[in-house]
Amino acid sequence: MRIIACVKAVPSSTEVKMDPKTNTIVRDGKQAVINPFDATALECALQACEALANQGADVTVTALSMGIPATADLLRDCVARGADSGVLLSDRAFAGADTLATCYALTLGIEHIGNPDLIVCGKMAVDGDTAQIGPELAGAFNIPCVTDVSEIREVASDHIVVTHVTDEGHDVVEIPLPAVITVGKDVAQLRMPSIAGVLAAEDASIEVLTAADAGADPARCGLAGSPTQVVRSFVPERTHDCTYIGGDIDTQVHALANLLKEMN
Amino acid sequence: MTQIKPLGAEFEEYLRDESRSVGSAQTISFPTCEDEIRSVLRKLYPAGTPITVQGSRTGLAGGAVPAGGHVMNLSRACSYLGLRRDDAGVFYLRVQPGVVLSELRKHLTNKSIPTHGWDTASLLALDELYAGPEQFFPTDPTEASACLGGMAACNASGARSYAYGPMRGHVSALRVALANGDVLSLRRGEVRSHGRRLSLKTESGALLELDLPTYQMPHTKNASGYYVENDMDAIDLFIGSDGTLGVICELELALMPVPAVTWGVNCFFGTEDAAIAFVDAARPVLERAAAMEYFDAEALDILRQQREASTAFSALPKLDAHYAYCVYVELEADSQKEATSELARLGELLEAHDGSRYDTWVARTDVDRESQRFFRHAIPESVNMLIDERRRTFPTITKLGSDMSVPDDRLADVIALYRSSLAEAGLESAAWGHIGNNHLHVNILPRNDADYAAGKKLFLKWAAKVTEMGGAVSAEHGVGKIKRDFLTVMYGKEHIAQMASLKAQLDPRAQLGRGNLFAPETADAARKEAE
Repeated sequence: MRIIACVKAVPSSTEVKMDPKTNTIVRDGKQAVINPFDATALECALQACEALANQGADVTVTALSMGIPATADLLRDCVARGADSGVLLSDRAFAGADTLATCYALTLGIEHIGNPDLIVCGKMAVDGDTAQIGPELAGAFNIPCVTDVSEIREVASDHIVVTHVTDEGHDVVEIPLPAVITVGKDVAQLRMPSIAGVLAAEDASIEVLTAADAGADPARCGLAGSPTQVVRSFVPERTHDCTYIGGDIDTQVHALANLLKEMN
Repeated sequence: MTQIKPLGAEFEEYLRDESRSVGSAQTISFPTCEDEIRSVLRKLYPAGTPITVQGSRTGLAGGAVPAGGHVMNLSRACSYLGLRRDDAGVFYLRVQPGVVLSELRKHLTNKSIPTHGWDTASLLALDELYAGPEQFFPTDPTEASACLGGMAACNASGARSYAYGPMRGHVSALRVALANGDVLSLRRGEVRSHGRRLSLKTESGALLELDLPTYQMPHTKNASGYYVENDMDAIDLFIGSDGTLGVICELELALMPVPAVTWGVNCFFGTEDAAIAFVDAARPVLERAAAMEYFDAEALDILRQQREASTAFSALPKLDAHYAYCVYVELEADSQKEATSELARLGELLEAHDGSRYDTWVARTDVDRESQRFFRHAIPESVNMLIDERRRTFPTITKLGSDMSVPDDRLADVIALYRSSLAEAGLESAAWGHIGNNHLHVNILPRNDADYAAGKKLFLKWAAKVTEMGGAVSAEHGVGKIKRDFLTVMYGKEHIAQMASLKAQLDPRAQLGRGNLFAPETADAARKEAE
């Protein structure tokens, strides 16, 4: 059996830098971290793998990403944590992709890896917040998809039972495999690698696929293949203000009371 | 100008610190600068009013708990005063004592040090600081809300003191106000004692001829009593003096470049003997280890229970059932390649000492480092919660935490002592701490008043045994009021009297830090003798 965990490198949430000229997020790879939702996806994939292995199945986990060459380090880290292999789609042709073009590239990567039984994605990426990749992948492969999974209750060789969040509450769903699930951040905590894992990952080769390697149609890749165009990005102006109240306790209490009266 | 205010109900929190003991005081002030500190001291000097100096009140030895008189809280003296760079390229940052460690770290990381009132030379040095590699201040007590003045007063340490030593070595200058308001300006390397005789000149020109105590300090991590040795640097007398000799008005801190790579590794063992043997073997081999910390089976069990019982702790990493004891090693390196090589060496050591390269957690990312930090800090937090729960039934009990260290070759002996005496007394405990420095915090967790009394008795026994082993009764928390009986065990009454006599020469009315290091009556006796 084969499980694929899709992971994305995102800027460290506390250190997002915007290019002042282009108003786009600076992605130099140095401050990249695994998207927190995808970290959970990888852990879910590893746990599912362990559960299936305990049932006697022969299972592998592959971490798949699309990104700049430095993203190979992130995939190597996935291997250190327990993934069996990593595959990176990296080519200038993939740059500027919206979710449709990203999904196209990932589809090619998944086809290259071959016959997934379970594809696990994070619910969304913290830098894009679209939450579209998982459902789009399911659409591309015409397989079932459950989004916003909050618990994996059971994994078997031919089906999976999950709880997922709905507008009204929670649903427990059983779906046949192959399937796609997208997971929330709190479903599981990504394990830390062991010394053995880190050292093994040093020797692991991360397969890097260019657009040509993946047999991609240039018209469906990157900016060219993206019907979504970002017209403008900008840092919103702060519209709230802060008033400091000084003086002794009585003065502060009166000043606060007056402020509250003014607000009402 | 700061006011001396009555210590009413609104200031009650200033009667306690993290030792959870409560004192008493009649007045309080919040000076914001050296002039205000000196002004308060001058006002209180004629009447000989006792003065307890406070910072963030995060101390665990009761040093900031007032014993009557006046509380001088320096949390509002929290400015950054200037920066210089020496010929060797080392940066020195001048701060007021109320600067909080976490704030200092944040400003260094974000390159956002407040520069209000800085001179041109300092601003030029700041440009150089920001243009170069990121700098840090290496002293890292667990409680990052500690302030720098308090940390200097107790010669704070922390996990990284394994590689960087305690705070003392990272303080290059101090300005210290004496009880009469006069000031000593002390710069490392400028004034040394001759043998045990130290001459100091105050800024007003007063000459102080001090006889330093004659005891020999242990060759271990040590924050027990005054630092004294032959031909010592004068500044070292005031670092770790528990607020008893003067008021620290200003510190100059030596900064260091942040290591290129820092990885944290939790190594798990099935037995305590294996963990100890690993530490003994690792110390001479792991040259770039910055920290070696320990968590015993009881501490790990408390974490397991908390993780299951409380959502606040559900983010703790899951501990496998066979993980009984843990040694945390922090590795620093100049490159990823070097770090990987050190990691491989660590793995080999583990395999040679009943450990496994698989039974480890390696943190190489900020997320994983935060997870490890949560793990380490959750243990004392959980223990505090446990004790708070028990205090509902037995209000007089508190956690009893040891802070003793021994030389390297006595690590196994001291742990055997702890285990045998805890078992004999039937006491519940959890131990963690700085095993690289042979410095464990053995925490007795009293279930009732009898346990509490038995635990206190046991600590006195340990103080004597640790002293016999050549160790220190306080390795990093300072002595304060909580551990002064242990200090007497460690140095004997004669040397305690010498300490009190030294204090009387600098603080002739026995005002400062009353009850810290030795009982008030000891200080009073020394004062009368000096008169």
